[in-house]
Amino acid sequence: MSLATEIKFTLNGRPVAVRVPVTMKTLTMLRDLLGLTGTKYACGEGECGACTVKVDGKTLNSCLMHAVDCDGREVVTIEGLKTPEGMNPMQRAFVDHGAVQCGFCMPGMIMQADYLVGENPNLTREDAQRGLEGNLCRCTGYTKVLDAVGSVVEQKCCGRC
Amino acid sequence: MEQKVATPIEKKTLIGSRVKKPDAADKATGKTRYINDMVLPQMLIGKVLFAGRPHAKIVSIDVSAAERLPGVHAVLTGKDAAGLKFGFVRDNVPLKEKVLCEHDEIAAVAADTEEIALKALELIKVEYEDLPAVFSPEAGREASAPQLRENFPDNKSLRFEFKHGDLATAEAASDFIADNIFRPHHVTHCCMGTSCAIADFDNNGKLTIWTQTQYPYNYKMDLAPALGIAPGDIRVIQPPVGGAFGSKLDVYPYEPIAALLARKTGRPVKVIYSREEEFKASPTRQAAIIHMRTGCTRDGTLTFRSADVLLDNGAYTSWGPTIPVIMMRTTSGHYRVPVVDFQAQAIYTNNPYAGSFRGYGNVQTTFATAQQMDILADQVDIDPLAFHLKNAQKSGEVTPQKSFLRECVLAECLETAARASDYSRKRAAYAAERGKPGRYKKGIGLASSIHNAGGAKIHKSDGIGTILKVDDYARVTVITGASEIGQGIDAVINLIVAEELGVPLEHITIINNDSDIAPWDVGVHASRTTFIAGNGTRRAARKAKAQILKAAEKMLGEPAAALELRGGSVVRDQCGTPLIKLDRLLRQMHFQAEPELVMVTDYYEPNSQPEGADHVSDHSAAYSHAVHIAEITVDTLTGEIKVDKITSAQDVGRVINRMGLEAQTEGGIAIGLGYALSENMQLEGGMLKNPCFRDYKLITAPEMPELEMHFIESHCAEGPYGAKGVSELPTIVIAPAIANALFNATGVRIFNPPLSPEKVARAIHETRQGGN
Amino acid sequence: MQDIKTYLSPRGIDEAVRAMAAGDVTVFCGGTDLSPQVESGARQYTATLMNIRRVEGMSGIAEAGNLVRIGALTTVTEIRRDPLVARVASILAEAAEHFASDQIRNAASLGGNICNASPAGDMINPLLVLDAEVELARWQDGAVATRRVAMADFFLAPRQTAKRDGELLTAVFFARPATNFVACFRKSGPRPALEISTVSVGIGGRLDNGVFRDVRVAMGSVAPTPLRARHVEAALEGKRLDADGILAAVAAAKTDAKPIDDVRASAWYREHLVQVFTEEVLNHVLGN
Repeated sequence: MSLATEIKFTLNGRPVAVRVPVTMKTLTMLRDLLGLTGTKYACGEGECGACTVKVDGKTLNSCLMHAVDCDGREVVTIEGLKTPEGMNPMQRAFVDHGAVQCGFCMPGMIMQADYLVGENPNLTREDAQRGLEGNLCRCTGYTKVLDAVGSVVEQKCCGRC
Repeated sequence: MEQKVATPIEKKTLIGSRVKKPDAADKATGKTRYINDMVLPQMLIGKVLFAGRPHAKIVSIDVSAAERLPGVHAVLTGKDAAGLKFGFVRDNVPLKEKVLCEHDEIAAVAADTEEIALKALELIKVEYEDLPAVFSPEAGREASAPQLRENFPDNKSLRFEFKHGDLATAEAASDFIADNIFRPHHVTHCCMGTSCAIADFDNNGKLTIWTQTQYPYNYKMDLAPALGIAPGDIRVIQPPVGGAFGSKLDVYPYEPIAALLARKTGRPVKVIYSREEEFKASPTRQAAIIHMRTGCTRDGTLTFRSADVLLDNGAYTSWGPTIPVIMMRTTSGHYRVPVVDFQAQAIYTNNPYAGSFRGYGNVQTTFATAQQMDILADQVDIDPLAFHLKNAQKSGEVTPQKSFLRECVLAECLETAARASDYSRKRAAYAAERGKPGRYKKGIGLASSIHNAGGAKIHKSDGIGTILKVDDYARVTVITGASEIGQGIDAVINLIVAEELGVPLEHITIINNDSDIAPWDVGVHASRTTFIAGNGTRRAARKAKAQILKAAEKMLGEPAAALELRGGSVVRDQCGTPLIKLDRLLRQMHFQAEPELVMVTDYYEPNSQPEGADHVSDHSAAYSHAVHIAEITVDTLTGEIKVDKITSAQDVGRVINRMGLEAQTEGGIAIGLGYALSENMQLEGGMLKNPCFRDYKLITAPEMPELEMHFIESHCAEGPYGAKGVSELPTIVIAPAIANALFNATGVRIFNPPLSPEKVARAIHETRQGGN
Repeated sequence: MQDIKTYLSPRGIDEAVRAMAAGDVTVFCGGTDLSPQVESGARQYTATLMNIRRVEGMSGIAEAGNLVRIGALTTVTEIRRDPLVARVASILAEAAEHFASDQIRNAASLGGNICNASPAGDMINPLLVLDAEVELARWQDGAVATRRVAMADFFLAPRQTAKRDGELLTAVFFARPATNFVACFRKSGPRPALEISTVSVGIGGRLDNGVFRDVRVAMGSVAPTPLRARHVEAALEGKRLDADGILAAVAAAKTDAKPIDDVRASAWYREHLVQVFTEEVLNHVLGN
């Protein structure tokens, strides 16, 4: 119905080529065309962060981003955070600290938390609170999320000193 | 049998430890397939046409263009659902022939894609004739109000009453009476995963419905009349859900709509809401007008409490207007109240309608009772802590409604929270600062509440079925009626099984999402699941253990009473010496001359009494209290309240899974904070003006205060290992604690939540104008 | 919705404005404003959809003589972290700090925020205080032509700007403020950022031995467009910034603000906040 165009980009480290309607959002492309359902729809307006993905190293709301805008870029989703050894440290920390309840917001929350720690290895709890303000969670009250983020910061610090 | 010298296995308990949710890793990696993510072969997408007006006659509806659109497989309207009445008082149908509220479902389409379905909705032509409408229960009571429902004169829906003692005498004996009108507002659950159902009929007319329900068994009974089929012909499958919080404790129209579309097309149909639809078409927390009066004598002894409650029923009757069942328990049981007079009347309006929501009725009532405790303490002129302590019940007391407070540690909760936060000193100091100049004011507020903590026998039964098997590899499968909606019963069940059977947590599998497999349970509500399912699991595990140890006795020649299961082995209880690996024993049991498998069943029914028409019964197997102390800073110019710290002390009976308990408490507090400070469904003429997260404000990470949580262990005789239910109290107590803190800081009291910046600023501004 | 006939992703300003001259073009970049507006039906896509992300020469922050130039595609995150902005126009960084959420800041472009022309547009307020100009490019006589419009004259009505059909906002310019220039920004909302501002107030000027000069005051969400508060400016210009001066400015703020009731706040509250913030921001200015 809508005009479509082919785009090529890197998705979780692998090249992909896909034909997308020009009005389609990245979230829909990921979920409906590429089968990556880890990225969630929860508001469609950039208000909740459940659809957070990393594009060229920066997190954004995939529900707002046109899929065509992925062309030539590097996209990482929650599925791409996993390493060959298993969960990445942020995912592991969320599990260990009991930050996951219904878990629906967690892919987005973890993407953003991982990004924050990557940007600022000395992230304070207050920085993390600010950095996660675009990620809504109805279950946890964020407390265990912040504990988890704090533990990853601590690990990183210890690794360096 | 060969004997090796084996290292003894020490006795270690898991009770009170920190156990991870077994589904957390899949959720954290995006692997979990939620219902929202599910796609079935041949599946169609269903979309619903909402009325978008509060009250109207449907003059005509023309779906012919929609039906002709390529890719559309079915279009249904009210005619197709005529007579399919469902709901608490059978006042709802899946698709309407008359409009009674904004989100009334007028038509539904099943199409190949969502895009086509949406286009088809646009092609449906409806001609409405708008009718005079009712937007508040007060207006609905007026003689001049239009009657909204044929069988409900004066727009009266449900009514509840409870009276105990002589009110006039008690009033006369009171030196002080607090008399206020509280107006708890409309809020909604905001589950991050929007509402979704997938329905599919087989050729024998049996329905399979994948849905987010948190009460799969009674759900069948409630869904059946909406489809005109037998409850037994419904199979309910519960894939992982993005939250529920009470919103999925009833059947809502999108579920039968999915099923009606599936029946019509012969294909699976998925209905899923957008966020805007979720805001508009989901149940709300019950809005109410509570006229409460509480009296006490000069020495601070409570004399009576009365509540005259008017409920905004909305257009249909779901669980919302039944909240008086709990409201009256709080009115009569929150502190020792000798005389009680409670009445509640629900009035039909053209507003959205309420379901159940974490804290069910008690959030609203405690907002009133806990503020009146603060108001009365000031009237008597004693420290609220002393006032609370004076009226706090003790273990063994019985409330006027016959709630038996077998283990009651209210006083300990009060003292713990007050001590930890330095409450009395700070309250006096902040009150002294109140009149002095300065933009930012600090305040501290204390609130407590009582809630059922051992289920609530609102049905004939409050029980649960459990099936437990241990296979040849010593892997345990628990097949239970207990639903998992994110709250963490999975971790609790794992912990209990591991505790009883001495197997590793990773060796336990829970099957609890298919009504054709798992046995009956009432559902996840009333803070009951750890209590009820915990007991059920423990009993089943103990039966399995008895069977295993009996077999061990036979094989090892040692008395079963002297044996234990620990670390995956049968051990001597006294010294811990392992005698045989559990899996080996199980295989021997299986392959012996008289073979046996370990598979046990249990049905647990708590020793509570059904809620009767007179509302006098011990309806829960346990009751519990929580105290919250809120410390806040108020910007008296902008009206912004910053919550600096919450100190909580809650009777949890016994800590089972500490991590899960903390998580439930933290999350409950966050929902309570949103209710207190920012969440508000802005309804104008029955229409929701803020159906988005931009304008409906959930609490965000930066707004979370510091939390100091104290878990008081009262060791409940009936609860599993002494535990009580915990989930709702944290949500219940927070708003009045903040309201009391606001008064302490500013001298301003707000009776209609949320305590939004504008409301606070205006109240302070008006007080100052008045003062000048 | 009209069917989209063409999708373009131009590399140069010339290519972009040429396409815009030819017809009805919907321009997008981060999509943070456009996507929800299309979703809600408030806006429709037109026949041509143009992604300007790859247009060269429209990104980045640089000094050109006495001017600071910020390309329209510069994201709010880039502004928030830019050392030059922090040094010479910290009010802009301050507004960026309080802009939506991290994910939106990473995607939202400055040009988009300005063209969206919301009375609550958070980056607009500090740019008004900095007396910025926007650069508008168009295709004319076979070449790119540009003109500049002062931000103060740019906003005509809700969602309406002085940008004509066929024009593309390519950059924002402002004069490097004097060394004694001080400016502060305040927006309301209990949340640090994720908040469509109920009210915002930005004030800047040179503090010359206690006397406030070249005063510019901007207000958001108190009128149909972001506005320069001329009465407050007049009350402050050339005056000592003391208690009386501040009082006069607060009184004038009431005259400038023409707020309405809406779902986010009542007119009373907005008018109240404008006064509170005017006083607060002036006290901050004084403190600096």
